[in-house]
Amino acid sequence: MIRRFSERASVFANNWILKSSASRFHGESLDSSVSPVLIPGVHVFHCQDAVGIVAKLSDCIAAKGGNILGYDVFVPENKNVFYSRSEFIFDPVKWPRNQVDKDFQNIAKTFGAMNSVVRVPSIDPKYKIALLLSKQDHCLVEMLHKWQDGKLPVDITCVISNHERASNTHIMRFLERHGIPYHYVSTTKENKREDEILELVKETDFLVLARYMQILSGNFLKGYGKDVINIHHGLLPSFKGGNPAKQAFDAGVKLIGATSHFVTEELDSGPIIEQMVESVSHRDNLRSFVQKSEDLEKKCLTKAIKSYCELRVLPYGTNKTVVF
Amino acid sequence: MIRRVSTNSCLSATAFGSFMKWSFNSSKFHGESLDSSVSPLLVPGVHVFHCPDVVGIVAKLSDCIAAKGGNILGYDVFVPENKNVFYSRSEFIFDPVKWPRRQMGEDFQTIAQKFNAMSSVVRVPSLDPKYKIALLLSKQDHCLVEMLHKWQDGKLPVDITCVISNHERAPNTHIMRFLQRHGISYHYLPTTDQNKIEEEILELVKDTDFLVLARYMQLLSGNFLKGYGKDVINIHHGLLPSFKGRSPAKQAFDAGVKLIGATTHFVTEELDSGPIIEQMVERVSHRDNLRSFVQKSEDLEKKCLMKAIKSYCELRVLPYGTQKTVVF
Repeated sequence: MIRRFSERASVFANNWILKSSASRFHGESLDSSVSPVLIPGVHVFHCQDAVGIVAKLSDCIAAKGGNILGYDVFVPENKNVFYSRSEFIFDPVKWPRNQVDKDFQNIAKTFGAMNSVVRVPSIDPKYKIALLLSKQDHCLVEMLHKWQDGKLPVDITCVISNHERASNTHIMRFLERHGIPYHYVSTTKENKREDEILELVKETDFLVLARYMQILSGNFLKGYGKDVINIHHGLLPSFKGGNPAKQAFDAGVKLIGATSHFVTEELDSGPIIEQMVESVSHRDNLRSFVQKSEDLEKKCLTKAIKSYCELRVLPYGTNKTVVF
Repeated sequence: MIRRVSTNSCLSATAFGSFMKWSFNSSKFHGESLDSSVSPLLVPGVHVFHCPDVVGIVAKLSDCIAAKGGNILGYDVFVPENKNVFYSRSEFIFDPVKWPRRQMGEDFQTIAQKFNAMSSVVRVPSLDPKYKIALLLSKQDHCLVEMLHKWQDGKLPVDITCVISNHERAPNTHIMRFLQRHGISYHYLPTTDQNKIEEEILELVKDTDFLVLARYMQLLSGNFLKGYGKDVINIHHGLLPSFKGRSPAKQAFDAGVKLIGATTHFVTEELDSGPIIEQMVERVSHRDNLRSFVQKSEDLEKKCLMKAIKSYCELRVLPYGTQKTVVF
């Protein structure tokens, strides 16, 4: 799952480009004639717990003139694992991008890390994602609009759906305007056409299922090998499967919710990333249950994807996540 | 289930009529009077009504109150879409000289008959006896302690007739000393797999108005529920329908959820499945261990149970369909 991140990061290091238009911080410099431009970086680390990890990581950053602005460490009780996430600014002249990778990689080897990922948002390419959906498109629309507003820091490579959409619909015109291909891949009970989907998404960094109502098989997940994030408009583990808003309405609950989670072979059961709730009462009918669920869905999915892109989400045990 | 409330109140209303007393210590409102020499003391009342929907119910109910000089201060009406039922809850103040308590019961009863009401309950908190409840628990007593303290502070408007538990407690424990100080009897009724001693429990609780299960870990059978005939409220420290049964906090911890909650609901034969009255949540994260999951669950439990019981005593909770509640 998230393991694959580290492989991606090394590919980034070989292809980095300096983008002068990206956000910079100005800081002090020994050479007083030119102020260096400092840029932000994020590093997450996941390894077996030992004495001295933070010392080594922080020293690595300081030695190259980097300044740590935020640091989260989490070591769970009785479990011999260590998680950290650091935010720092650095001068890419003093600490070149591929050197950043090498330096953290050394520390990763020293501690036998399960995961060590560094990301420099202004230099590294954005995450490439594909969005999958079926008939309901409010989640997709939300994501496309947030992406257009610059609030979703990804590159959308394509949209895949098992429903056909007419070319004069809002979504199709939007995608055409932005040069994002739409692939209609119809599925049947016998044929989920997973090979074709795999072919379409193999260059992506992760997938987002935004009301994609087909179950992806274990073979697909293994074949893809990277993370798949799903949004479920129910408060898992309640109301798995289809129509969770209606299930909730029939159950007479007083709180409804949405859950984003990583996809596993089992339906609606993977590690949970984010959950949100809202109150409902007898005054809510099925329509308002559905409406509230959809509003929650959109917020919850956007938040989860943002967290994921900011390297805040890490695997924890077999079925949980650390979300810094 | 909640249907029973109306039967009881009808009986009680007659009983109240026979025994009504003036309580000068209760809260009263002063209002105008035709006789200017003495200001009447106005007393708050609550009426809930549940019947098949037709034109004219609100008119009749409000007229009934106004005709006796009562002043409606709050009114909630709910008629669900596509369902031919009507719910209302009114709060009003009235002069018990102009509108005697027993007459009030009869007046509302007349309207109830006219509209074939499933439920018509009136309650005058300052005149009517408090609800009598029995509390059942097993080993975990934080919910009971919370309820006892809130009751002592006057925040739980009930009479606690007794506490029943399948765990024994030593006399020098906080709970036992508290109960003794307040003259509330504690009954230790151990259960086994074969014998849930439901008859003994029924005997002890038959005069109560409703039961509260505050971490009572035995399943009450359908026979018990039928035999008791009145409402039983349970608190479950999980967000139903997730995590039914035992150790919901641990189930939630293992499931890696980011929100945990508590649910109060009416008890039915099926475990943790009756109509939900109230739910509350709190956020959890990777930084929470099992201990803090449990602690947060317990804090939520106490708040959620208190809120539900308060709502119930204020006649805010009504049955809705087979599996839901209206909570005004």
